[in-house]
Amino acid sequence: MEETKNNSGQNLGIAALITAIITFVLAVIPCVGLIAIIPGIIAIVLASIGLSQAQRNDSPRGVLLAGLIIGVVASLISFSQYFVAGKFADEIKNEKWSNKVEEIVNDVQENVVRDLEDANVSIKVEDGDEKVEINVSTGKSDKEKTLEDLEKGNDSVSAGK
Amino acid sequence: MTVSLPVNKRLANVKARLNEPYLIINIFLAGVIMLVMIYSGIFSPDRNSYPVECIHEKLTGEPCVSCGLSHSFSLILRGRIDEAYQWNEYGMRIFLFFASQLIFRIVFSGIYINHPEIRKQLIIYDIIGSVTIFLIAFMPFLIWIFKFS
Repeated sequence: MEETKNNSGQNLGIAALITAIITFVLAVIPCVGLIAIIPGIIAIVLASIGLSQAQRNDSPRGVLLAGLIIGVVASLISFSQYFVAGKFADEIKNEKWSNKVEEIVNDVQENVVRDLEDANVSIKVEDGDEKVEINVSTGKSDKEKTLEDLEKGNDSVSAGK
Repeated sequence: MTVSLPVNKRLANVKARLNEPYLIINIFLAGVIMLVMIYSGIFSPDRNSYPVECIHEKLTGEPCVSCGLSHSFSLILRGRIDEAYQWNEYGMRIFLFFASQLIFRIVFSGIYINHPEIRKQLIIYDIIGSVTIFLIAFMPFLIWIFKFS
């Protein structure tokens, strides 16, 4: 009779430990972490009942204590997910605003760069009969063409020599 | 008569083994991992008919770090590793954790039955090994949780 009593406490401990381990794994997965508090509470209840039985029968409590500790830690992690959800939502709101500002800045920057890429600068200096004209272009296509010419060795400098 | 005696002995051995808490826990955990594998195998990633929905996404409207894990598991089981990484970049390490735990449960149970003299050490090694693998596998999720809590 006493053996069966000891076994019942032990069985509750095993059930508590298995539930607690599963709860622990669930609790650290954010998608299902919030609902892990339910098996967590079940594990704590099972371990507590088992512990009270074990105390009465003076049977081993190792498994029961392990189940209780893991269950409590898992429940705390699961409970913390409620705060995680709240802070996560706040951060998303803030991020949305900062993202919008960042988008606008990026757009302006892109427009300025595009305008500069197509810019042509022309400087004319006239002194009586002498006339000097400097044309500078930042166009990408011109640069690419110059580079191609340099690679082929057909640039004007080498041709002149 | 000569046949029934070993059968009785075997039955007694099986009963004695089933009284061992470590073995019962291992059997249950292996069963749970098998259920996870079956779940990932049954539900098709192409149909997208998974019954588990992300509570974080429902509450906040934004996907969390573990979103796409079921998809990722299903794709890993089907050998579509590249797609699995696209669904969840940590899917593979979590899957490997479950796979390793399934192997651990079987191997450690075998050693526990065959080598009764090292049972205590075996349980300690099992705890240390499992906790280490757990921390390695779930570290990104833990960091994410502690970042916001």
